[in-house]
Amino acid sequence: MTSQTSYKPKLLWLQSITCNGNTHSFLNHPDLASILSHFDLVYHPVLETPFNIEEVARGELDCDILILEGSFRKEGFTRGRVEVSKIVETYAKKVEHIISAGTCATFGGIFKEYDPEHISGFCFDAEERTERYEIYASKLISLPGCPIHPRWLSYVLMMLVKGNPIPIDELHRPQELYGITVHTGCTRNEYFEWKIDSKGFGLKEGCLFYEQGCQGPYTRGSCNKILWNDTSSKTIVGTPCFGCTEPSFPKTALFSTKTNMGIPATMPLGVPRRAYLTATGIAKSFRIKRFEERIITYDN
Amino acid sequence: MIIRELIEKIEGEAELDFTFNEGKIEDVRISFAFYRGMEEILVGKDARDALVITPRVCGICNHAHLIAAVEAIENGYENAGLKVELSSKAKAIREFTLSCELMQNHMTWFYMTILPQFEKLIGEASGENHALKASYFSSTITKALSIFAGQWPHSSYAVPGGVTCDPTYVDVMQAENLVDESIRFYEEMVIGIPLDKYLEIDSNAFLYDLDGDLARVLHLMSMNEMSDMGQSHDRFIAFGESSLFKAGKSMKTRVYEVDSNYVKESIQKSTVAKAVTYKHKLYEVGPLARAMVSKEPMVKHLHKRYKDSILTRVFARVHEVALLLTRSKELLKNLRLDEPSCSLDKELMIDDFEGVGVVEAARGSLIHKTTVKEGLISKYEIIVPTQWNLSHGDDNENGIAIEAMVGASSTEEATFIFRTFDVCSVCTTQ
Repeated sequence: MTSQTSYKPKLLWLQSITCNGNTHSFLNHPDLASILSHFDLVYHPVLETPFNIEEVARGELDCDILILEGSFRKEGFTRGRVEVSKIVETYAKKVEHIISAGTCATFGGIFKEYDPEHISGFCFDAEERTERYEIYASKLISLPGCPIHPRWLSYVLMMLVKGNPIPIDELHRPQELYGITVHTGCTRNEYFEWKIDSKGFGLKEGCLFYEQGCQGPYTRGSCNKILWNDTSSKTIVGTPCFGCTEPSFPKTALFSTKTNMGIPATMPLGVPRRAYLTATGIAKSFRIKRFEERIITYDN
Repeated sequence: MIIRELIEKIEGEAELDFTFNEGKIEDVRISFAFYRGMEEILVGKDARDALVITPRVCGICNHAHLIAAVEAIENGYENAGLKVELSSKAKAIREFTLSCELMQNHMTWFYMTILPQFEKLIGEASGENHALKASYFSSTITKALSIFAGQWPHSSYAVPGGVTCDPTYVDVMQAENLVDESIRFYEEMVIGIPLDKYLEIDSNAFLYDLDGDLARVLHLMSMNEMSDMGQSHDRFIAFGESSLFKAGKSMKTRVYEVDSNYVKESIQKSTVAKAVTYKHKLYEVGPLARAMVSKEPMVKHLHKRYKDSILTRVFARVHEVALLLTRSKELLKNLRLDEPSCSLDKELMIDDFEGVGVVEAARGSLIHKTTVKEGLISKYEIIVPTQWNLSHGDDNENGIAIEAMVGASSTEEATFIFRTFDVCSVCTTQ
């Protein structure tokens, strides 16, 4: 006997032009088994599934949730010997929800750069809406990130299973995940507040926003709230945020900050330049010894 | 008779055309359909952007691309006259994180590719969920990696002169615990005995009697008369060096020196994958090659009996995890946290250089070559391990994987042999 409540949504994970990074990021989810137990996995790029890619490519399988990975081009990229753009349209029409997993599927990402005119995300080409947007917008949830964080995807999947509404922004990103910036929760926040730059790479002290290219203050994402691999993040280990969740990813000269008259050219998200300059002026007028010292000193 | 098979779940897909003659495979053509243009995407970007872009070649061996990319820049700086001296701490952390990725890759391949495909091939299903074992090991060991590198996949924490992290003892201890947990898993699931006892084994016969998934595979291969299957040219090469791996080429019983300047790439017909040769000869790369070059006793024993068969190849890959786990513990134990993480000034810029970075990735030697003019990349070349193993070959001899498949009696048998090379489609079609 199957009751209505025990129905498991059918999940289909389809790849286009990708590096498989989202697939492998998700496979590292510590609760993988429990999450997948709520779904009937129709196809997945590496996990064993009841159907192979050639059967998927025929477009005849039933499916409720479509996860897309990789950027798209109209023609010239096949899976199971069929144009991916065809396979994806077939399933996109059938399903109730479409999740664009990763920056490539959402905005075009890195692979878009090879042929920017013909390669894009599924519903967005960087920030512009593609012609598919009007057709599929009502089903679309965007999960940009290069790669996606496994817990971002499981949040969306479990919200869908529970039938909970997911508040989204104008680019269809869940507000719960992208309503904050990567800067939120960064362990270097004190240095940001007092405008103390890091003196070099490889130091736990100092902020990376002023010289080392960190885009954390204006990049949407919860990397420093929901930690990577449940343990860390780029900025915690002294690597600048490269803005990998943004439609503009990847920008260039990623390890240095573009400045105007010594002030970072891009302001923290939503902060007027005048407000930033005022706060900076005040912060910089004090010299606080603690921020110039090392946190730990080892005696040799 | 030609049979065309689409092979999937190899980090993408490939088409294999099998030519049969009297019930045996006589020839195989391997083709990959789509090129993503990574080398072109890099042109015109800042030299250090390669540290962010190249990991995105591959979702599974991204970290190896990062290390190859940073070594290419450092080699370029040296060629331009700047001495780049890494602290022992930076070197050890890089080797540790790369080791974590190798182990992640090997165990994912063993549990998600080899075991399920092997059970299918011999018609003996264990009913176990191998993927969950893979996922558990993978999330544990990549967590240890992330303590230093921030995240996996797609970290960019290695920068010219060292690493960006500045770990504390809290970090190191957490990493040690995660390595211990990975060892516990490996002992319980894979080898069935304590790691130190396993590494003392000096008789092959004993290997088959162990509990655990490795012995089960070896045992079933021998029961099904598959131990000799999948032999190729029996020539091996490795270019990357670490505290564990040596560079060299192994032919017959001898090991010779190598120089990556003699590596040559060439375009092949009807596939976007390029061929790679060393002094016009094809070589196998990967864990088996590394073991042969560094004369790893347990692998050499099996090789003596079965040559470069699927049994030796599968064993070498899983066995390498034992070596890496042991080495990882030592690297963490000896970490000197008082040393600098990065020895180059952040303002330092060298605008014109050419450099080569060579590392041992999970699947074999990975080479990055960067040419930088006025601070921007003017040319970038990436040579990946799968190119070595899947090259077509020439009029004189077959490619490595092709030679291994020739003589197989079914496409199922041949595709299993193909998968023992741990083929990575996305790397091959960068």
